[in-house]
Amino acid sequence: MAMENKKSRKSNFVTVSIIILVGIILLFSSFYTYWNAAPAEQTCASCHEISLRVTSLSHSAHREVSCKECHGTALSNGLHSLKEKSMMIVEHLRGKNADEVRMNEEQYLTVMENCRRCHTSEFSNWKSGGHSATYTDIFLDEKHNSVEQLNYDCLRCHGMFYENSIDELVDNRTTKGPWNLTDKKKATQATITCSVCHSIHTDGDIKQTPDYANPAEIFYDRNSKVPEVSFYVRAEKTHVPVNLLSKPKITHEGEEIMVSDDPLMRNCVQCHAPNSFHISATSDDRTPRGVHEGLSCMACHEPHSNDARNSCIKCHPAISNCNLDVTTMNTTYADADSPNNIHWVSCIDCHTDGSKKSVFEKNKPVLR
Amino acid sequence: MDETIYSRRKFIKTLSIGVGSLLLLPRCTFSKASDWRFFTNEEGALVDAIVEQIIPTDEWPGAKYAMVTNFIDKQLVGPYTRHQEIYRNSLSAIQIACKKAFSKKFEELAWDEQTDFLVSLEKNEIATKVLDKSVANGNPIRDADKAIIENWLKSNFFSLIRNHTMQGFYGSPRHGGNYKFVSYRMIGLDPYPIMGQNRYKASSNGQ
Amino acid sequence: MANKHVNAIVVGSGAGGGVVAKELSVAGMSVVLFERGGWAKYDDHDQDELFSQRTTVLGNAYGPDNIRYKRVRMWSEGEKTIVLPNEGGYGNNAACVGSGTVSYGAMAWRFMPEDFKMKSTYGHVEGTTLEDWPISYEDLEPCYEKAEWEIGVAGDDSLNPFAPPRKKPQPMPPFEHNKEAQLLEVTAKRLGWHPFPIPMLRNSIPYGGRPQCYRIRGCVGFACPVNAKCGTHNTVIPVAIATGNCELRTHCVVSEINVDDSGKITGVTYFDEKNKKQTQTADIVVVAGSATETARLLLNSKSSFFPTGIGNENDWVGRNLQDHAYCGANGIFDHDIYDDKGPGASIAISDFNHHNPGIVGGGVICNEFNALPYLFTGIRPPGAARWGAEHKKFQRENYKRIGRAQGPYQELPTFDGRVDVDNTVKDFWGIPVCRLSGKASIKDADGTAFMADKAEKWLLEAGAIQTWKTGVVTGERPVGGGQHQAGTCRMGNDPKTSVCDKYGRVHSTPNVFVADGSLHVTNGGFNPALTIMALGYWVGGYIAGEWLKGNRFK
Repeated sequence: MAMENKKSRKSNFVTVSIIILVGIILLFSSFYTYWNAAPAEQTCASCHEISLRVTSLSHSAHREVSCKECHGTALSNGLHSLKEKSMMIVEHLRGKNADEVRMNEEQYLTVMENCRRCHTSEFSNWKSGGHSATYTDIFLDEKHNSVEQLNYDCLRCHGMFYENSIDELVDNRTTKGPWNLTDKKKATQATITCSVCHSIHTDGDIKQTPDYANPAEIFYDRNSKVPEVSFYVRAEKTHVPVNLLSKPKITHEGEEIMVSDDPLMRNCVQCHAPNSFHISATSDDRTPRGVHEGLSCMACHEPHSNDARNSCIKCHPAISNCNLDVTTMNTTYADADSPNNIHWVSCIDCHTDGSKKSVFEKNKPVLR
Repeated sequence: MDETIYSRRKFIKTLSIGVGSLLLLPRCTFSKASDWRFFTNEEGALVDAIVEQIIPTDEWPGAKYAMVTNFIDKQLVGPYTRHQEIYRNSLSAIQIACKKAFSKKFEELAWDEQTDFLVSLEKNEIATKVLDKSVANGNPIRDADKAIIENWLKSNFFSLIRNHTMQGFYGSPRHGGNYKFVSYRMIGLDPYPIMGQNRYKASSNGQ
Repeated sequence: MANKHVNAIVVGSGAGGGVVAKELSVAGMSVVLFERGGWAKYDDHDQDELFSQRTTVLGNAYGPDNIRYKRVRMWSEGEKTIVLPNEGGYGNNAACVGSGTVSYGAMAWRFMPEDFKMKSTYGHVEGTTLEDWPISYEDLEPCYEKAEWEIGVAGDDSLNPFAPPRKKPQPMPPFEHNKEAQLLEVTAKRLGWHPFPIPMLRNSIPYGGRPQCYRIRGCVGFACPVNAKCGTHNTVIPVAIATGNCELRTHCVVSEINVDDSGKITGVTYFDEKNKKQTQTADIVVVAGSATETARLLLNSKSSFFPTGIGNENDWVGRNLQDHAYCGANGIFDHDIYDDKGPGASIAISDFNHHNPGIVGGGVICNEFNALPYLFTGIRPPGAARWGAEHKKFQRENYKRIGRAQGPYQELPTFDGRVDVDNTVKDFWGIPVCRLSGKASIKDADGTAFMADKAEKWLLEAGAIQTWKTGVVTGERPVGGGQHQAGTCRMGNDPKTSVCDKYGRVHSTPNVFVADGSLHVTNGGFNPALTIMALGYWVGGYIAGEWLKGNRFK
């Protein structure tokens, strides 16, 4: 009798469990269908905390892109999303306001794959340039690490989306080594993805190439035509549109140099920055001075590959007035001794006033 | 379950919270009582008016544009939970006083009237003023209202909301105010300082 | 499982405790270093003005938190207030590994020889407990040197004729002045004063395997994003841990020093990271929890042998609580003098530190640390609008035009100004909290007025169009107890009028030591961090030396 009771209780338990499970599955799948079919206003944006962001997207060039393409749906992005979204609602019901939706690093990597679907050439340009550096390239660079300790500020410009602290990224924060990534999966991941410079939650406008015939447009008067360019500020965990970033004031030998008004350049300067005294050519500053003073980075550099080769001939005749072949000149920044470092070559470097040796004498150019 | 390990209990808990709360979503859309976390919509409008007096719009936007009310509202359900009582009562006292003295809401008063009101509040004189005025008007105040005015219409509330307004306007946007870093731009301070590290210089010195 | 017996327990990992832990573990002693907080991470709290260690309106970035900690403040007789850690009267020091040395302004001052001999220099001052230290500057000089070289200081004393004698220069060159300091430098020279760069516990060049400072706007109140600020957390504590002899136990709150049936000190009771009560035994206990918390721990350790707390036989524990009477002047200029280079404080004059006519002591005067925008809303001349359009206009027009010169006037200690414990108010762990009470000396009025006058003169000479004084003591005021808190376990040769001997050992015990600002007999006219570190080397060096000689402090 007791035995039977136990048995039936057991089978009762199984039946009830099955019913509950089926119920959950039914509820869940119906909700899931609704979630995918309904417009954003009735799903994501019905949560007023994020309505501002949804509005900005619906006015942007990417208005056709639905929320879930980047943020993932409750299921397609796994437990993380499910937990994140449901916790937002729980917090909301508790009377606490959840903060804006923040994506995790994995989602940002997924977003990159989404961008790639349409923006194929931009993606391949990026891939070919320095900004596609991986975690290994950046954080396990022996030359760097043996000179300087990795610190919190590294993540301001490299691996901005990394969710933990630098202590947890590389296991040894000394200059002695050896250094290892604590999470091996990170080794081949990109550190500077599309979302570092782009946010699609902005008022839209269609991208235009600068008018090279109009000097003002590539020099000081250049205006942003690409409002989705914004810098991801890790500290604030948010994108800041370029027009809100500051225009740098940079001095050379005590004199302020003219800096391009191009808002896009402000993005570059956030990381390729001078020291806190804002002195030209200190730290990683590459703001042009000399003959190219006032030029925006974007005038020469392709924005995604950062390649600047063949950019000289946009303005200069292939064979210059001095009979130099601008297409083969060494104009690089990387070589500190380059006589023609495009960023700060000045008139006097060639046209010497007699007090200083001309670069022609120092470093005879190849004349045809 | 590649990297993230979820225990079964945790999984079920998360799942049930998730499903349960998602179901509540449609109802939530229609039953929004207030646009704020702590404030009622009426209080929100009043706080908007007060903070705008404290940091008014001139050639640069003021506290209302900078979403200072949002900052205060957010802190009142966070680190400033302990100030909830004084906000609720003092805001109510302000409206009662304005109703009695001017037959208007605070935010409906003329700009200078609002300023005068807050100046008296700062000097801790407003309660007496309002009570005297209502007697002079032949419109004496009920005892309950009188108690609220006497207890809550004080200069310490003004100092509090003044400080909170300054924090919301001049602090970091991450706390809900200083919309688009408006105060930093007004002062001429780079919101995100441009600074590289000096390592290139250092390493070339061989140090 | 019971914790393994160790040679020494160090309570608190700040400026004093971190150094002691290193000295002992390098000498081969087994050490447990207790810290009530965890490792401070810049990522958790970055350059967010409202949530820092300087402006704490939304909380203390690196602790203590408002949920578990509180204190009692007696503003006047019978007026008892509960204060939370982010409120003004609490007097918080960061609760994290390295404590205040993570987020301090990092000035690295050596006290002057006179600072150790205040009574001999100035005589008895009525109403104060002014006294000489039992040790002299010469005694502590080697410890200062060790602190400067092991932790890292950038400075150049050769420009300061009033600097105390030193055997070895500071290890790093001084910092380049910001715009305000450049202006003040020229001006001070014109006045016949002797300006010099403030010595700083910050890397002006790469040092100790860490990079150089990159002059970020907000420095004081924040952890360093590039790890260029030198504290005990990134210097001596890692060294201690690397010896293998030192175990750092974070998130552990020590509640009591244990005494056995024979009156012997056996170790401490503490709450571990899971708030579980635990015991740790040791041969020696070194307390370095800051002037307030050290006194609290001694007073809370009551037993039949120490009925009023350890070392408190003559009611001296917790007495003589001192801070600094910060005073100076602000001035408005008609041109920008702010150039957004951190940390702001850069130049100092030490001309008015001692031997000022009619004044007891004095202090160094420096230009101030950068005031971030919210802090600046409180910087206004007397009578200026506190809100409204005028206030906003002032903020916009003068943010970059205000020069500030201030200094820590050497507050005179009083027997009245004290820390004790309030048995009716308990913290999260049920431990009676600190109660701060008493008045600071009214004699500080002359000194602060004198210093503020000099600061104002400096700014006026520099071309300020409007100036006003700040921090001048005008009447009775409650005792301080801020980040410069000191004096509560005064060292001295006479057990009747002091708590510890000249090596920091509590007179009435063989094996309890104090190694922090509590030992200060007087607090100098300087920021005290380097002196606390030096005392860490002094006390730690003594214990280690004796230990190696076979002394087991029984």
